[in-house]
Amino acid sequence: MAISTATKAATDALAVNRAPVSVGAQEVHRWLQSFTWDFDKNRTKYSTKYKMANDTKEQFKLIAKEYARMESVKDERQFGSLQDVLTRVDAANRVHPKWNESMKVISNFLEVGEYNAIAATGMLWDSATAPEQKNGYLGQVMDEIRHTNQCGYINYYFAKQGQDAAGHNDARRTRAIGPLWKGMKRVFSDGFISGDAVECSINLQLVGEACFTNPLIVAVTEWASANGDEMTPTVFLSIETDELRHMANGYQTVVSIANDEAASKYLNTDLNNAFWTQQKYFTPVLGMMFEYGSHFKVEPWVKTWNRWVYEDWGGIWIGRLGKYGVESPASLRDAKKDAYWAHHDLFLLAYALWPTGFFRLTLPTAEEAEWYEANYPGWYDMYGKVYEEWRARGCEDPSSGFLPLQWFAENNHPIYIDRVSQVPFCPSYSKGASTLRVLEYNGKKHSFSDQWGERMWLSEPERYECQNIFEQYEGRELSEVIAEGHGLRSDGKTLISQPHTNKDGKLWTLDDIKKIGCVFADPLKAL
Amino acid sequence: MANIHDNPNRDAWVKKIAAANTLANGVKLLTDFRAKHLSPFKTDFSLELDGQWIELKIEEKVALLKHKEFNDTQFLNNSATGENAQKVADAAVAKINATTDMYEAERIHINFRLANKPPILPVNVFLDADRQLGTKLMELRNTDYYALPLEELRKVRGVKVITLQ
Repeated sequence: MAISTATKAATDALAVNRAPVSVGAQEVHRWLQSFTWDFDKNRTKYSTKYKMANDTKEQFKLIAKEYARMESVKDERQFGSLQDVLTRVDAANRVHPKWNESMKVISNFLEVGEYNAIAATGMLWDSATAPEQKNGYLGQVMDEIRHTNQCGYINYYFAKQGQDAAGHNDARRTRAIGPLWKGMKRVFSDGFISGDAVECSINLQLVGEACFTNPLIVAVTEWASANGDEMTPTVFLSIETDELRHMANGYQTVVSIANDEAASKYLNTDLNNAFWTQQKYFTPVLGMMFEYGSHFKVEPWVKTWNRWVYEDWGGIWIGRLGKYGVESPASLRDAKKDAYWAHHDLFLLAYALWPTGFFRLTLPTAEEAEWYEANYPGWYDMYGKVYEEWRARGCEDPSSGFLPLQWFAENNHPIYIDRVSQVPFCPSYSKGASTLRVLEYNGKKHSFSDQWGERMWLSEPERYECQNIFEQYEGRELSEVIAEGHGLRSDGKTLISQPHTNKDGKLWTLDDIKKIGCVFADPLKAL
Repeated sequence: MANIHDNPNRDAWVKKIAAANTLANGVKLLTDFRAKHLSPFKTDFSLELDGQWIELKIEEKVALLKHKEFNDTQFLNNSATGENAQKVADAAVAKINATTDMYEAERIHINFRLANKPPILPVNVFLDADRQLGTKLMELRNTDYYALPLEELRKVRGVKVITLQ
């Protein structure tokens, strides 16, 4: 019986390349290399202005079978801990309620990032022509699938075993109304999977993973532990063990294009845009989640940021890539200014917009206010006294008829949304570096909060057409929008989000919101 | 007020779409709709909220009409306009390769998408042309990215400054 061409090719190759006598991973890897896989003539499905070299090496040299064996051990440890000891000691109910809410955001959002990273690394696999480089990306595709499941699982665990499941389960249904979702999709989705394939690698591996996973996945475990959460370190540190491979992949992406003369025309621009894209969201959001979403503090976010983003990444990691022509982003200095106040500005707005979210927020206690003032001198005069006023007006109590969003309108402090990052900002009440820029193009107005984003939009406006909630819901009453955007618990009347985490406090319902008569207005229409 | 998912705008377009009963009518409805309501160069923003949903519904209809009117060979090789799909794609790629002006390249790429996005062109032909057009556009856009100060860039893009703080 005739054998297929593929079977004949494999048989012929095996005759020349004898199988190794051991099953050592490195030896098997060398043996696989001897088959001289040739992807040089393959053309990618994706656009890229870079030429990735055909002889690029990969640092880990793990074959898929060895990889699977290693990861299964990690999974056994992780799921074993969660399902056995942590359940027996009722760990999910020992988490501080404020941190329980933070994990609704962190794990749900990271799940989206991991999910998009599957596609991003699949795209890089398709774009690369070097077999070893493809092998590195293949390992990462499998990692990202694992991480997506892990993030989903931790929310499932919190929802099943812990306190206040609403928001841990099915957070994504609020994605049209939650003001943090669109910015998250900008960094975790658009940044990873649209545009130039190598630019996506720069966003994902060189910035997202090499720069922000230390704060996002490592620092979060310290904050979690400090606030009684033993599940998150169990899962996130397991995720982090894979991240080194991803950073190495990012490094090798740069190495693969370094000898292409044309790359020098684009690389530092793409890096600067990727860094600004990622930091514009992560700097304020991570700082807010850590400091305002915890009861027990670890260290001021600005110190964490300075150590890991500015010195470790901007200095050491990018410095190592200097021999390939990579320079620290020009926007790093502006980002450093944002790292001090941006998360305080964002929490003020997030709290004001609480009914549109899927997690509960809490005003700082007197003890926390002292901590903020000690670490961020000037905090009280700007933010602390506003929170005191909101609390005095009963912002936590459904019968008060007061939403902090009204305070912004009463004091003529319009809230805008940056067209490029989709991050809300209030230029007239802010200590961060944001400045208002409004441009009109073909009759439509667009607001921006910094020069880097404005340039990105001016260069490719069709990439940033996402409408914000003020444009989408202009003229609509808030309770209608919440109901339409699925912001309700399973009883069909109580909001998922709440402005407190007090177990004995009353929960706001749709009727409480409706009585207030809050109507969305687009601030750009007033200009 | 009408629900965002179910409103008079959408109802009106569902009726218009139902009335398109030939491929030629469907193609015209789709390409006109995209040019007026979905182009990055548009000046009519009346369907900002519903535009993409309506486009999806017209695309569904055009795909069905194409399936009804085309034989297998036409289905794989022709544009819904009847032209040879590969020739349409090649012409756009040749046009963009002949320019060194990023704004012209941008128009070529965007107009190609508006006129040819599936189901107008078969997916295999469209995506490969889109990859080549995107590559060229990115090369032009990212060369000397910071050459112009923002003031100049705003003028070149043709935007009006409403406020700068």
